[in-house]
Amino acid sequence: MPSTAGRAGTAVTTVSSRPRHARDALPAARHVVRATTTPAKLRLLLIGLVSLCLIWGAVAAWVVSQRASGANDVASRSETLSLDGQQIYRALSDADATAASAFLSAGLSAGIEPINGPLRYRADIAEAAAHLESATAAAGHSAAAADLRTLSADLPVYTGEVQTARADNRLGLPLGAAYLQEASKLMRGTLLPAARNISAEANVRLAGASGRATGLPLALILLVAAVIVGFVLYRAQQWLFRRTQRRLNAGLVLASVAGLVSLLWLGIALGVARADLLQARTHGSTPVAALAQADIAALQARADESLTLIDAQGNDTFQQDLVGVQHRLGPGPGTLLTDAVIAARGSPAAGPARAAAATATTWYGVHRTVRSLDNNGKHKEAILLVTGHGPGNSSTLFTRLDDSLHSAIAADQIVFQRHAAAGSNAFIGLEVGVIVLALIMAAGCARGLATRLAEYR
Amino acid sequence: MRPPARLWLPSVLLAVVAATAWAVPGSAAVATRAYLFPPAAARATPPCDATASSLRPTGPPRVTPGSFMAKIRHRGYLIAGVSQSTYPFGFFNPLNGNTEGFDIDMVRAVAKAIFGNPKIEFKAISDAQRIPELQSGAVDIVAHTMTINCKRLQDVDFSSVYFHAGAQVLVLKNSRVKSLADLGGKKVCATTLSDSLGYIKAATPHPIPVPVTNFTDCLVLLQQGDVAAISTDNNILAGLKAQDPWTKIVGRVFSSEPYGLAMSKMHPDFVRFVNAVLQQMRTDGQWAADYRHWVGTPVPAPPPAKYKA
Repeated sequence: MPSTAGRAGTAVTTVSSRPRHARDALPAARHVVRATTTPAKLRLLLIGLVSLCLIWGAVAAWVVSQRASGANDVASRSETLSLDGQQIYRALSDADATAASAFLSAGLSAGIEPINGPLRYRADIAEAAAHLESATAAAGHSAAAADLRTLSADLPVYTGEVQTARADNRLGLPLGAAYLQEASKLMRGTLLPAARNISAEANVRLAGASGRATGLPLALILLVAAVIVGFVLYRAQQWLFRRTQRRLNAGLVLASVAGLVSLLWLGIALGVARADLLQARTHGSTPVAALAQADIAALQARADESLTLIDAQGNDTFQQDLVGVQHRLGPGPGTLLTDAVIAARGSPAAGPARAAAATATTWYGVHRTVRSLDNNGKHKEAILLVTGHGPGNSSTLFTRLDDSLHSAIAADQIVFQRHAAAGSNAFIGLEVGVIVLALIMAAGCARGLATRLAEYR
Repeated sequence: MRPPARLWLPSVLLAVVAATAWAVPGSAAVATRAYLFPPAAARATPPCDATASSLRPTGPPRVTPGSFMAKIRHRGYLIAGVSQSTYPFGFFNPLNGNTEGFDIDMVRAVAKAIFGNPKIEFKAISDAQRIPELQSGAVDIVAHTMTINCKRLQDVDFSSVYFHAGAQVLVLKNSRVKSLADLGGKKVCATTLSDSLGYIKAATPHPIPVPVTNFTDCLVLLQQGDVAAISTDNNILAGLKAQDPWTKIVGRVFSSEPYGLAMSKMHPDFVRFVNAVLQQMRTDGQWAADYRHWVGTPVPAPPPAKYKA
């Protein structure tokens, strides 16, 4: 056995003979020079393999933690914030439209505000406040924090102005209409843009987190590390096999098996997570964002419709805005509704999204009737068509449109949450797992080579 | 060698004449152009008597065939441009959803004279829209606390005077402001393109004019502490004061604002008709009743009807 070892040793020595001159110059490297003997080489291999296993464990754990935190951010924080932003926008916009139409119909019901008006308005404000709180918790120090501060500061100002408007209306003072318009100006000029920003910021963050959780560079780093470790382990066993004429070294085999297990686990978990997160994006967050955009535009158009009729200024700002919003909303090529229908294709939201697009067209038709009534001196009839609750009324059609969009959003929200949670769950135990397996690998290498070394004493 | 004096003098005279001949045609051309095409802002409004600028009615109000009144009757309703926010002259009453006020009652009387009952479409317009809406034919008549003045008389026709107002200042009750003169450097509110905004801009020391759409918007700003005062016709200020008892009207009346109903220059028959309606209201006590209802007592004598022709 020693003679065979000597022969193989000579071969190896020849390979490493060139750098020896350089190493001789360094007194600190004297023990490396001694590595020409088999025990020394074994000792060196032991140190190298153990370090390599530990490095592998560290790299794998780091990659897993990056991916897992991205997936977690997708599943919980960014999406929460984006959803909160949308809900704040919905609630505030509905509050504005409700306040406006309550004012409109007050005059028609002989001084009594319809009772569902104030109730709905109050529910809207409460909902906005609740989402404002959860959004503030989710936002942390992100870019959305400034917008959330604006909302917190100006929401009380808005409600104050609306209450003043209502009190003035009760007294029969025309001043009420001025306060209502002032409130609406604050809502449209400051509050709603801030709510829109929150969703936009959160969507940017969501895209970042999603990229971190599914991007390929990290997986590539992992693959390169695995190839290096696998190659070194294989060569080490080959060398040991030749040197010792033994087929298997139990320790190194254990290390190899542990390495393979960790690689398989990583591959499956990362693959599954990536597939799930991509699903969550294609059939979840992307259609949800498109549908939310459409819903925001629909809400704006509805508020415009009411404000057009209480506009005591006689200019047609709101009507012009409404026409612009209708063009953006669609349906039609490149419009928000059509984009949402396309984005929702193949997801549970597809049906409601198509229904929303169809309702929008009917609603526009009724709005044209409203305008022609109002333009021909039939102001009261126009108001009734906007605020009434009959089947062909503008408010009924808008509610149907809004409900369709809302249920479409909710349906794809569920898809998103299911896939995002599955994607996030794929990482459970993985980080600890790869660390433990790397330690097993290191222990296996140490044990296997230590047994060989012991044979030289 | 110095030239003789009698040669020197004519040459100077010649030079002066030449220079004048060269310079004068240029300046004369400028002057001519300025005369023919005066810039709009500087266009001098020919002097007029605003209170005696309307057309004399031909007897009691009658809808003659082929007249503008017959056209309105055929349409089925009168289209009136009014304010929805100027209490108590033209405003939207939130308690019953109706458009009401002193101006509105004037229009009702006109519609009643055409149809026998007031069939009116009220179109809410801002101060700035009053003349454009009449000129485009979008409304038949404007009843909108509108002052008759010589400049506006070039664009539209007015009825005889139906109310006489004058500009003052409205401030919060605890304010020390006594008149527009105390408001130099402070924010003063009025509606865009109104006479009132012009008075604020012209006042010395200069206040900071804050233009808004309606006078109720001014009151919102005053209540929220964003402006120091509102300046406009005292009847409008009285309407604002009625909506906020914590305000007061201060200072002397510093302008004369005779109100007229405005109509397009295309329909002199309609102007005469409206004047006949107003004349009837002056004599049968309707004017006094409307005044008592909206403005209050004591009820003065109605502004006398004076006509240019």
